[in-house]
Amino acid sequence: MKRFLSSMIDGRGFDIGLVGLPLAFLLTLSGLPLLYNIAMSLQEVDMFSLGSFWRPFVGLKNYRDLFAQPETWPILVNTATFVVASIAGQFLVGFGLALFFWTNFPGASWLRGLFLVSWVMPGLVVGAIWNWILSGDFGVLNFILRETGLIDGNIFWRSDPGFSLWAVIIANIWLGTSFNMILLSVGLSSIPRDLYEASELDGANVWQRFWTITLPMMRSSIGAIIALGLIFTLQQFDLFAAITSGGPNNASNVTQYWAWDLSFRQYDFAKGATISVIMIVFVMIASVVYVRSTRHEVRG
Amino acid sequence: MTAQIELTNVNKYYGAYHALKDIELSIRKGSFTALVGPSGCGKSTLLRSLAGLESISSGTLKIAGEVMNAMPPRKRDVAMVFQSYALYPHMTVEENLTYSLRIKGVAKADRKKAANEVAAVTGLTNLLGRYPRELSGGQRQRVAMSRAIIRHPKAFLFDEPLSNLDAALRVHMRKEIRALHDRLGATSVYVTHDQVEAMTMADHVVIMRDGVIEQQGSPLELYDRPDNKFVAGFIGSPAMNFLPAVGGPDGRSIILDLGMKQTVSLERAVQPGRALVVGLRPENIELAPADEGVVSVQVALVESTGATCFLTMATTPELSVVFNGRSQAQAGDRVGLNFAPASIHLFDADTERRLPD
Repeated sequence: MKRFLSSMIDGRGFDIGLVGLPLAFLLTLSGLPLLYNIAMSLQEVDMFSLGSFWRPFVGLKNYRDLFAQPETWPILVNTATFVVASIAGQFLVGFGLALFFWTNFPGASWLRGLFLVSWVMPGLVVGAIWNWILSGDFGVLNFILRETGLIDGNIFWRSDPGFSLWAVIIANIWLGTSFNMILLSVGLSSIPRDLYEASELDGANVWQRFWTITLPMMRSSIGAIIALGLIFTLQQFDLFAAITSGGPNNASNVTQYWAWDLSFRQYDFAKGATISVIMIVFVMIASVVYVRSTRHEVRG
Repeated sequence: MTAQIELTNVNKYYGAYHALKDIELSIRKGSFTALVGPSGCGKSTLLRSLAGLESISSGTLKIAGEVMNAMPPRKRDVAMVFQSYALYPHMTVEENLTYSLRIKGVAKADRKKAANEVAAVTGLTNLLGRYPRELSGGQRQRVAMSRAIIRHPKAFLFDEPLSNLDAALRVHMRKEIRALHDRLGATSVYVTHDQVEAMTMADHVVIMRDGVIEQQGSPLELYDRPDNKFVAGFIGSPAMNFLPAVGGPDGRSIILDLGMKQTVSLERAVQPGRALVVGLRPENIELAPADEGVVSVQVALVESTGATCFLTMATTPELSVVFNGRSQAQAGDRVGLNFAPASIHLFDADTERRLPD
């Protein structure tokens, strides 16, 4: 009995240790900076007060100032456009590819693995490659569009305010598609084969099987990938740095790049922190969606 | 007696592997046919070919008189109950039942009515709103069957539907499936590896081995007159005893080799000196006092379940005997064994085929 009790107590201590260590790690390396960031967004911060924590408290002044700036709303709209278009593109192309590889033609798994190359490449390298592809005078994208007759003159993807944001979106779709594809492939392969056989015998054609079996069975995978997509696109920084630097005239600027620009190039740390806090709210929402959709697994 | 399903000269290859060999099978409308055999014998492949989930390489497959060789499964109008049940996990029981109707475009009210009718027959009325994960194994099994019933298909195909249930429930569901079959007047094809299931449920049993139909007929025909040693050993539990023997010199007896030679006279002619395998069902052997039986042997093991008694004899090869009641004999005793000459099955030792009577 005594041994049983002591093992229980030992076990409990071990549990707390297992949970406590990562929790302490998270608190020091994520929680504290997060709180510090929120505090900073409510203070007046400049180069000289950066070293001390006790700075003048200004309430929501930073937020009011931020929204009074003329470029704030366009940048927020840019961010929304970037997120929605990137996720839509990555998801649709990724799902299409996942379905394509799911048909399991010879060499499918090998080719699918090869697709991951785009995802493991650093964003700056991807950006450099896309700079060449998107180049206005001799870029291969313009060449293809011109030769197929879709455009008459060259598009200056990176310097035309109407296209610069889309230049980054195209590169980001290319970068994120393979991750979508892999995650959706896993979801597809976890659908039991006999469900399709049963629905086929029940009279469903390919299209009906897709809508009544594949999509509903993929609900949790799709929820997870879209939530992750939101988190990843809101983190996408390298491509902006490499392709447009947010220009021209903020035409392709987004909050995550702007926050960095304000803090570390204009040294307006309070505003940078304020933007980060706004972004945290959105990422939190995405995280909740992600956690919920991976918890509600529907399996028979 | 119209044939609902007809297979003529059907072959199936997986690459070089010959999975079904010259299958000739005619399944009468309204009959309950069991496909039975050890694993890998091709019974599931045959069933899946009927459903259209596998394509046949050659031959003709007709369902209700129509050639179905290249017809996709959804146009064959057959329903299948899977071993795993294959219930749609994201749909309630009611949605599972009415899935085929929904695909067909039946109105919602009619679907609900049909689901209620079938649920009343199979006892699912209180479970219509549940999801498959909230059901027990037996209930899932019922949903799978109801999903098939609701369609009024040309044939029901069962792919080892009871193998995931525990023993008691299996015996119960056996009766239930057979009762449903009779009630619906359906044509059923039932795949199982369990010969007891096949014998108790089916009116027509097809025994397969290595892609070949070894024998088909009514359960008792197969039991009484197995065509070959494989069928004889497969049907019946406990399994038939096989003893090596040769034809006796007088042409009307056999010499059994049970470690020592024992002569048994028969009421039929046997070619002298011919190498034979003698088949004797354990339930056809009776115990007798040591000096009175046809043969005399020593008891090696006595197992009793209370109602029946299993005896294993210390012979080579082993000989088992089963009878109702209690055994007086103990392990180590010498006993005599009696059996009617008519209950002896004779097979050729080389071809393993049954000798003509």
